[in-house]
Amino acid sequence: MKLFSKYNRINIIASILIFLGGCLAFYFVMDYVLIKQLDEALETEESEIVQYVQSHNSLPEIVNTNDQQTYFVEVAEPFSKTIYHSKKLWNKSEQESEWMRQLIFGITVSNRHYQITVNKSQEETKGFLQLIVLIAATMIALILIAGYIINRVVLKRLWQPFYNSIHSISNYQLQQQAIQLPSTPIEEFNLLNHTINQMTARVEKDYQTLKAFTGNAAHEMQTPLAVISTNTESLMQDETVLKLHHTTISTIEEAAKRLSRLNQSLLLLTKIENRRFDLTEKIQWDELIQKRASELNELMVSQNIHLSIDTVPVTAVFHQHLADIIVSNLLGNAIRYNYQSGSIDIQLNKSAFTISNTSTLPSLDETRIFNRFYRHPETKVDGNGLGLSIVQQVCHAAGYTISYQYNNNRHIFTIHF
Amino acid sequence: MKLLIIEDEPSLNKSIVDYLTDRQYLCESVSSYAAAVEKIECYQYDCIVLDIMLPDGNGLKLLEHIKANKQSEGIIIISARNELEDKVAGIELGADDYLTKPFHLPELSVRIAAIIRRKNLQGSNLLAFEEIEMDVLGKAVAINNRALVLTRKEYDLLLYFIINKNRVLSKNAIAEHLWGDDMDMADNHDFLYTHVKNLRKKLLQAGAKDYIKSIYGIGYKFSIA
Repeated sequence: MKLFSKYNRINIIASILIFLGGCLAFYFVMDYVLIKQLDEALETEESEIVQYVQSHNSLPEIVNTNDQQTYFVEVAEPFSKTIYHSKKLWNKSEQESEWMRQLIFGITVSNRHYQITVNKSQEETKGFLQLIVLIAATMIALILIAGYIINRVVLKRLWQPFYNSIHSISNYQLQQQAIQLPSTPIEEFNLLNHTINQMTARVEKDYQTLKAFTGNAAHEMQTPLAVISTNTESLMQDETVLKLHHTTISTIEEAAKRLSRLNQSLLLLTKIENRRFDLTEKIQWDELIQKRASELNELMVSQNIHLSIDTVPVTAVFHQHLADIIVSNLLGNAIRYNYQSGSIDIQLNKSAFTISNTSTLPSLDETRIFNRFYRHPETKVDGNGLGLSIVQQVCHAAGYTISYQYNNNRHIFTIHF
Repeated sequence: MKLLIIEDEPSLNKSIVDYLTDRQYLCESVSSYAAAVEKIECYQYDCIVLDIMLPDGNGLKLLEHIKANKQSEGIIIISARNELEDKVAGIELGADDYLTKPFHLPELSVRIAAIIRRKNLQGSNLLAFEEIEMDVLGKAVAINNRALVLTRKEYDLLLYFIINKNRVLSKNAIAEHLWGDDMDMADNHDFLYTHVKNLRKKLLQAGAKDYIKSIYGIGYKFSIA
C-alpha cells in the first residue's frame, strides 16, 4: 500500500468520524435550540391567555389551527405546575400522528380551576432540522471528495522528487560517479537527497579503496607465492635433498599452486561481483564450446569419456573471458568428477546451454552447490570449491539463470539465456 | 645474451637471476624504478624481465620509457595482477609477453628464449642438444640430420626440455606449460606421463640417446648424465 493511500485512508476515516460526531452534536444543539424556541412561543401563548383572563375574567375564545391547538379542562384542584414536553399526537387534518410540543399549565377564572394544554406542532422544526442535517451531510461528502482529489493530484506531484530519487538510486551502479540529486523545495526530500548524495560518495570512495585493496592484496600475496614456488624449484635441483625430501618439496609446490589459484579465483569473484567487466563483446557460444571441448579432448580420450555435442549457432553480447570461464568450469567439472568410460552430453540452443555428465558423486545439494567452498564430502579430487560459484556469479552478472538437476544418475547443469 | 631483471622482491630477484645465469645468460638485476632507468640508459640488453609494480614507480611507465628510447630489447612483464587490462596495456605499450606471478622459472626461461629468438632474426633458429636439432622457426626436429615427426604437444615438450636442460622440472610446471592454467586435473600427471613416454619412444626409435630421466616423486630432467 502506498504511503499516501495509507495516509488517505486514515485521514478519511478520521474525517468521517469527526464529521459524524460534529453532525450529531450539531443535530442535538439545533434540536435543543429549536425546542427552546417552540417553548418560548408556548410561553408567549400562556402569558397571552393569562393576560386575557386577567383583563376579561373569562377564558379566551380558542381558534385551533393545524399547527396549534389549545384545550381547557376544568379540574377540582388548582393546577399549579407548568409542564413542557414532547408527545406524539393524532393530527386529525393530516390523518397521522405527529410530534407535538405540549405546554400544560393551570389557571383560575372566577374560582373555577382549569388545566390548559397548548399543543404546537414540532413538524416544522423537524423539517428544518432534517434540512440542516442534509446540508451538513452534503458538505461532508463534498469536503471528502475534494480532499481525496486534491490528495491524489497534489500528493502525486509533491512526491515526484522522491520517485526521482528512487529512480536514480535504482539505476546507480558502482564505478560511476556518485549520485548528485538536485535540491527540492521540500525539506524532507532535501534531507533524503542530501543523505543519498553523501552515501553514494562514501560508497564510491570505499569501493575505490576496496579495489585498491584487492589489487594490493593480489600483489602482496602473489609475490611471496612466487618466492615460494621459485625457491622450491631451486631446492629441486639439489639431488641429495631431492632424494630425501621429494614428497615435502612436491607438497610445498602443490600447496603454493593451490593457494595461488584460490587467490586468483577469489579476486575474479570479487571483480565479477563488483561488475568490473563490460558485457559488450560479441561471442559465439557454439564456437567457444567446440574450441574448449577440443582443447580438453585429449583428457577425455585418456579417460575414455564419451562426449556428445549438439549445438546450433548462438551469438550473444557478452564477455569473451567470462564466457570462457563458464564453459571451461562446467566442462572441467564434468570431466573431473566423471569416471572411466563415462559420458558427457552438451546441448546448446537459442534459449539454453545444458551440460550433463555421469559421475562418481551422488546427487548434490542444490541449495548449497553454488555456495563458496561447498564441496561434496565424497569429493576425492582437489578443487578449490569456487568454480561453480564463479559460474553462478558470471551468469548473474549477465542476467542468465543457472540451475542444477540430478536425473537418471546424471548431473545436469542448465544455463537459461 | 644479456638480460636485465627488474624485480623489487629480493629473494624472487635472486631466484630469477640464479636460474637464468644457470641457463647461460648474463644477468644484471635491479630492484627499483630509478636504478632500472639508469641501467637502461647506459646499457643495451637482449631482454628485460620487468615487474610492473615497483615501490618507486609503475613498470608500465618504465616500459614507455624504454620504447621512447627506441631500444629494441625484448620485454617480458611479470606481474602479480592477473588483470586483462594490465596485460592489454602492457602489450600495447610494446611488451612481448606477460607472465603472472607465481610462475615457474622454466616457464620464464622458455618465454625469454622465445622472445630472443623472435628479436634476433639474423641469429640462428636452430636449437641443438647433442644429436637432437630443433628448427624453432619451422617447428621441425631432426635426429642425426634425419627428420623426426612429433605431435604438437611432443614438440612443445621437447623444446621445453631442451631450453631447461639439466634442470629438475616438476610435473606441475610441465603440465602448466603444455595445457595452460585451466588444467588442474589431478590425473593430468598420468596424462603427462603418456606424452613423455611417447616422446621418449620416438626419440629412441630415431636413434637418440635416452636423455629424459624420471625424477621420482617430482618430475623429469633432460640431461646427458
